[in-house]
Amino acid sequence: MIRIENLHVYYQTEGGTVHAVRGIHVDIAQGQFFTLLGPSGCGKTTTLRSVAGLETPQQGRIFVGDDLVYCSEKKIAVPPYQRDIGMVFQSYAIWPHLNVFENVAFPLREMKGKRGRGEIAEKVARALALVKLDGLADRPAPFLSGGQQQRLALARAIVKEPRVLLLDEPLSNLDAKLREETRFELRELVKRLGITTLYVTHDQLEALTMSDTVAVMDQGRIVQQGTPVEIYQAPREKFVAHFIGLTNFLEGRADAACAGGIGEVTTASGKLRCVLPDNVGAGDPVIVVIRPEDIKIVADANPGAENILSGSVEATIFMGDALECQLAVGAQKLRTKVHPASPLRQGQSVLLQLPAQSCRALRG
Amino acid sequence: MASLRLNLWQHGIFVLVLCLVSLPLGFLVLGSFSTARLPGDFSLDTMGLVNYIKVYSDPATYELFTNTFIYVGGSVFLGITMAVALAWLVERTDMPGKIWIYAGVPMTLAVPGMLQAMAWVILLSPRIGVINKSLQSLFALEEAPIDIYSLGGMVFLEGLRLVPTAFLMLVPLLRGMDPSLEEAAAVSGARPFSSLRKITLRLLAPGIVAVMIYQAMTALEVFEIPGILGLPAGIHVFSTKIYAVVRSATFLPVYGQANALAMVYLLIAVVTTFFYTRLISRGERFTIITGKAYRPRRFDLGPWRLPALAFVLLYLFFAIVLPFLAFAYASFLAFLQPPSWEALGGFTLKNYRFLAQYGEVASALKNTAVMVVTTASLTVALSFFVSLVIVRSKFWGRKLLDQVAFLPHAIPGIVLGIAFFWVFLKIDFLPLYGTVWAISIGFTVSFLSYGTRAMSAALLQVHKELEEAAYVSGARPGRALRRVFLPLMMPTLVGVWIWVVLHAVRIAGLPLILYEGPQNQVLSILIWNMWDEGYVPAVAAIGTLLMSALLLLTLLVRYVGFRRQWAQPPSI
Repeated sequence: MIRIENLHVYYQTEGGTVHAVRGIHVDIAQGQFFTLLGPSGCGKTTTLRSVAGLETPQQGRIFVGDDLVYCSEKKIAVPPYQRDIGMVFQSYAIWPHLNVFENVAFPLREMKGKRGRGEIAEKVARALALVKLDGLADRPAPFLSGGQQQRLALARAIVKEPRVLLLDEPLSNLDAKLREETRFELRELVKRLGITTLYVTHDQLEALTMSDTVAVMDQGRIVQQGTPVEIYQAPREKFVAHFIGLTNFLEGRADAACAGGIGEVTTASGKLRCVLPDNVGAGDPVIVVIRPEDIKIVADANPGAENILSGSVEATIFMGDALECQLAVGAQKLRTKVHPASPLRQGQSVLLQLPAQSCRALRG
Repeated sequence: MASLRLNLWQHGIFVLVLCLVSLPLGFLVLGSFSTARLPGDFSLDTMGLVNYIKVYSDPATYELFTNTFIYVGGSVFLGITMAVALAWLVERTDMPGKIWIYAGVPMTLAVPGMLQAMAWVILLSPRIGVINKSLQSLFALEEAPIDIYSLGGMVFLEGLRLVPTAFLMLVPLLRGMDPSLEEAAAVSGARPFSSLRKITLRLLAPGIVAVMIYQAMTALEVFEIPGILGLPAGIHVFSTKIYAVVRSATFLPVYGQANALAMVYLLIAVVTTFFYTRLISRGERFTIITGKAYRPRRFDLGPWRLPALAFVLLYLFFAIVLPFLAFAYASFLAFLQPPSWEALGGFTLKNYRFLAQYGEVASALKNTAVMVVTTASLTVALSFFVSLVIVRSKFWGRKLLDQVAFLPHAIPGIVLGIAFFWVFLKIDFLPLYGTVWAISIGFTVSFLSYGTRAMSAALLQVHKELEEAAYVSGARPGRALRRVFLPLMMPTLVGVWIWVVLHAVRIAGLPLILYEGPQNQVLSILIWNMWDEGYVPAVAAIGTLLMSALLLLTLLVRYVGFRRQWAQPPSI
């Protein structure tokens, strides 16, 4: 439904030319919820704005549905007002001089062909009902709360039933509690309508909980794309592992690869068995990543148990739903999460088990 | 003890400002009912409505209303239309050469209105106008095609003069507007023109209305443009009519009638100011949440890029280049004539030599220097202490003080002149009447509202905690004042001082009412009188020098970086 091919965007700033997007390929199927995730300045918003037509790329092709809306070779750049899109801006961009009804009716009034008053009223009412703003139609737009403004912006984006919905950090201006509720509502709504959605966020939790597919971006490139589970459990780059969730990193050197993708890595803390990618050969420097919640604290080492390290508790931090422990294994620091009622105390010596399936070696 | 002393000087400032503002206004009101012919003969026994009856039964007064309305309405419409177009072109389109507009438009503020009007007379007077004469000889016309001595001429010129301030007020409005509001229209399917009409202009509407009212106040108050262009043709607006009544050469002046006129004039100005402040204070309703600092999309002018640039350059040409060229050209001529090889061959420095020898020039320059420095220093000192009371103290009357200090903003210069005229005549135990000191006091009151606004804004930013941090770092109050407070306030103090100098030197209305005798002339009066007596080339020589000096000073000020303090209109 949305296809982006080899997209390059440059723009001029006072500091010189910035190569904001560097050859992105994205293919989003009909009805899919696709998220671009990355830190600020990674090019995710620029990509979204290129799809909207608000930014003009220098190279590549963009399809919205079957329409070629941008092509550098054929010099096609369809203006935003002729693209079949709806968009929610980070600031919501609610027009303060119009009331709620007129804000939503605006896209309908701009469509080709005269529409009857009744048809507009009906469509606006339906859109407002979908976002649960019915009854507020006559309210002047500035008199809405943040959450209401966000839903108004959404109603305006979907009222003309576009094929594609573009969302630019739509939750970042809401307070934490409301953001959590809205996450599920928003996903549920676009899934019900079956609109193909391109979502941009820097919030990993939003990306993981809402998306069908997440593409992690860094410095203008997509570094990894996959389902939320793949992205979280099987990061292929150090950046991805670092950006999403808390992660422990252990530097080491790969020994010979073994069968089943499991190989051995020598680290400062000893030998570890981990999942080794195909492109790592014997002797290559690697980084072993393991999530804090995958580290187990064991009472004593069973004979034959693998990846057992001994260390000591350096600090414990009470987090409410968990107890975070900072462990020292030689010179290496590791973080782990245990149940808040755990009796672990500072200074205590412990044995750790790092399950081989949860240890992933990445090329260093 | 300390608090009592503090209270004393706060009361002192309060009483001083109250006197400076209410005394002249009181005399203005009383004088309007006085049946005595001269202010000096004024007594409370001779009061009546004679002046009002006389003035408002005169049909000419109603012509005055019509003229003023056409002049103000026309010039505001022309000025704002051009300013909106300019601001939109430089902020939102891909027009080339924008840097010249940002630099050039504020420069036009440096040209005094009186000189600009005189320059246009040199160009377009039906009798001597250079352009008129050229057109006549070119097309063999019997009569001059354009008459600048008309309501149309006043509207045209005041319209041009309103542009820079309106432009400077509109640019931040456009810049502060969240570009995603327009982008949202684009992704909603609105074409560029449609989104310009339905979103951009509609969002700007409250701001544009505020700028229009502000500029209507300016046009209403200005004396110099209608004074130069309207008075010779007998086309009066309020400011010039009052001047004509007081300074009439043929009749014995009827001061009370001037006051009666001034009362209505004042009422119009006060009502306009009231609406303006109301509009501004309700402005929050339209404040627009700004999102990410995205560069707004530039409107693609396509083939209109060069015509747009031509329009802007034409404005700059009319507003600054042409008047300057006209003056410079006329200043080298023995008598005014259309440009020709013959005229160029007859270039002479005679006019400049005349200035050097003419005694009144030297005394006017000296008076101007004294008057300008006194006014600027008085204004800075007074408004600083007033703001100190308003912002920093818990003085009971600080709200009232703020309002009283703002009041002169609504009083047209001519009205203030008439009011002070009565004061200085009446308090004859002080030898102030007709002197440059009288002009200085009048100007100080008139600039007080701008001064206190600027000072209060600056004082609010120099937060008390900055000084308190100096105290807890071991600085005594004196040291804290010198090391922290003064350095932080210095840009504002200097900025207001320069602003006052630049304004006091160019305004002619108030000094013309308040001065008496050639020994008390300041530069603006001298120029006015020489122009009146027909020394056109000599005025052109003074004008060339004064314009050059002001342009250089403006450039210097911009270079030093006080741009924000004075180049912008007093924000309210």
